[in-house]
Amino acid sequence: MLTDPLAAAAARPVPHAPDALALLDDPQEWVAFSRPLASGPDLWESSVVIEGMHCAACAVAVESALAGVAGVLRAEVSAASHRARLVWSSTRAKPSDWMQALQRIGYRAVPANDLFASERRRRETRKALWRWLVAGFCMMQVMMYAYPAYTARPGDLTAEMEQLLRWASWVLTLPVLLFSCGPFFASALRDLRQRRIGMDLPVALGMAMTFAVSTAGTFEPAGPFGREVYFDSLTMFVFFLLSGRWLELRLRDRTAGALEALMNRLPDSVERRCADGSFERVAVRRLQPGDLLRVRPGEAIAADGRIEEGHTQVDEALLTGESRPLARAVGAQVVAGSHNLSATVLVRVEQVGAATRFAQIVALMESASTTKPQAVLLADRLARPFLLVVLFSAAAACAWWWDVDHERALMVAVAVLVVTCPCALSLATPAALLAAAGRLASGGVLVRRLQALEALARVDTMVFDKTGTLTSNTPALGDIRTRLGTTPAVALEMAAALAAHSLHPVSRALVQQAGLRRAQDPALAAAGTWTCEGASETPGQGVQGLVRPALWAAAPAVPLRLGSALFCSATPGTAPEVHLSDAAGWLATFGLREALRADVRAAVQALAQSGVDVRMLSGDRPDAAARVAAAAGIAHASGGCSPADKLQALATLQSQGRTVAMVGDGMNDTPVLAAAAVSFAFGQAVPLAQARADFVVPGDRLMAVVQTLQVSRKAMAVVRQNLLWALVYNAACIPLAMAGWLPAWLAGLGMAGSSLVVVLNALRISANAPQDA
Amino acid sequence: MDILYLLIPLSVVLVFLILAGLWWAVDSGQFEDIEEEGARILRQDDGE
Repeated sequence: MLTDPLAAAAARPVPHAPDALALLDDPQEWVAFSRPLASGPDLWESSVVIEGMHCAACAVAVESALAGVAGVLRAEVSAASHRARLVWSSTRAKPSDWMQALQRIGYRAVPANDLFASERRRRETRKALWRWLVAGFCMMQVMMYAYPAYTARPGDLTAEMEQLLRWASWVLTLPVLLFSCGPFFASALRDLRQRRIGMDLPVALGMAMTFAVSTAGTFEPAGPFGREVYFDSLTMFVFFLLSGRWLELRLRDRTAGALEALMNRLPDSVERRCADGSFERVAVRRLQPGDLLRVRPGEAIAADGRIEEGHTQVDEALLTGESRPLARAVGAQVVAGSHNLSATVLVRVEQVGAATRFAQIVALMESASTTKPQAVLLADRLARPFLLVVLFSAAAACAWWWDVDHERALMVAVAVLVVTCPCALSLATPAALLAAAGRLASGGVLVRRLQALEALARVDTMVFDKTGTLTSNTPALGDIRTRLGTTPAVALEMAAALAAHSLHPVSRALVQQAGLRRAQDPALAAAGTWTCEGASETPGQGVQGLVRPALWAAAPAVPLRLGSALFCSATPGTAPEVHLSDAAGWLATFGLREALRADVRAAVQALAQSGVDVRMLSGDRPDAAARVAAAAGIAHASGGCSPADKLQALATLQSQGRTVAMVGDGMNDTPVLAAAAVSFAFGQAVPLAQARADFVVPGDRLMAVVQTLQVSRKAMAVVRQNLLWALVYNAACIPLAMAGWLPAWLAGLGMAGSSLVVVLNALRISANAPQDA
Repeated sequence: MDILYLLIPLSVVLVFLILAGLWWAVDSGQFEDIEEEGARILRQDDGE
């Protein structure tokens, strides 16, 4: 625990009381910030906000503290977003265990989806603003006291008057040092106590030294440190540093803005109708399926549901990338996280919490923002030796100048300590990648792995799957041919029963078509639907299961297969079709018509212009594949590929030295998607949580792939610029400072400016032209 | 000239008073949501 009064004053609010932590050990509370993992029993994945973190070095400390707790299997901390993701076993650890481990080293964890997080965030912002104001105001006044000393001719200023001005400067520098600089000292002390070197150590050392030299000059002018005072320099560079930090904080909020906006999209409370018809405000967490909500225009919708009264327009850009307002009338479905635009509506809640599509997107984004790309790991590793070099340079410069002038020597060391900017180095990559992920999220593309952005920027070949990717998700149903003794309507009903258990686009088309025909023809509805038991799907082949009429439970179940000609042992036709067969063999064939997505040609052209070789691999018959490829403008296409053939083709491309991105529907292509350097899943076919791809595109615009490519290239260009800048800046400024050419105030300005340049450069990615260009 | 011996300490005290005023402003949230006040008049409020 913190015992030092300075550090204790600077540390943010009182630590959690032990019983408040114990409250979080209740499994009921876990769902607010955790979700169970499918990969093992009792495994949970949690997301928390870490308070008190400043730099990449802190992230390493937090990570190792978390990893040191028995029962915590994995911990990943993002320095840029201050979020940690950890995987822990509920049988061996409790949330209070790892939260206490963090408190012991001086950080605190707040459950990420906790309502308290926003309150704490606000308090943190206020405190930062207040520190900055104190520094700024005291700086102005200290400048005024310093002015006569610079301008007075010898003899103008009496010795008493000069001493009085110095006293006044000293008094006003105290709050700056003790209060405004608190975070720097607190973090440096914490690092020292952990026996490691943090990013704030050089700066804190520089401040302490300047203050010591100036204090000695004020109270003991005849001492070894001379009679010069540097209160004006000290307050000025503190003010610059705090300005830099403050802007950085605001910009980081904006760069991670789309991400944050995404996660904080749900309102804290909603209006729920009580039994007596009045409305009460309740927390979103208290919502249950079946509740009736009143949503006013401008509010976000808090849960998935259906409109019960009123009609309005909603903005679902987050979920589908569709930026136009969509009309929603009575009975229409609305999703959590979308915005109600035009009128007040009543919504009946159907899904809440983790079951909503919104929650799945947030979970994806959170895991992406805390996974660490290679470049970030490199920066983390470099930080420590870099800081050692800085400390060593400062000591060397001080020793070199010591014989010339003691006082000058100390101020040169201060300049070296202050001017170096390790933060620019450690912020360079994460700031750019987060900005890119945020930009993509607002355009309807979800990034599962930040690292994929690095790989995507290098991609020179893009391979598309056909069905569900180039062509629209749901093909249209054509003519139905059946065996003698079966009507098309019955065959369709039986097929629909099987298809309901599959997410393949063709299955969805069958189910949809059966529903349509039932609605149009009451006689069909009377004939009854079918139910299916024990359905199992063979990816890329078909579905099989036991089917019987829904109204006749005693009927013998018929084993049916629905899928490709091979799967159903039917005769392959020439047109795209899907077959149904029973124990006796072929039963029916459903003709399919494929519809190309509207923007296929534009997307393929744009990719070719970006220097990407576009290819197509399809499991469909070669002539169908060739037809679609010709319509889409793709030169290299091959059809009739089994998943193994696709893998083979991918390996051939890769052996030619190409970096290949694979675009598929995320279901049938899983092995190919995994083997490619970068993978996209067009997410409508598959629940988001199951999509195994680097990028998930929940909408139906193929142009989103092109935009992702452009954003990733831009992001990597920004990363290179940032790293180059950080290197050039530090390499140029440290020698200058060692030579004694940089005064302390200029050093402070340089450091604050350097961090800002990096963050601002990253911001260029998110603040770009509207994405529906 | 002698008046400066009073005015300079007074200016130090004044700085602390002004800082106290700023603290009150920050703590009551006046610098957050600067657009909020301007937008308030455009909002339809029911009840109050």
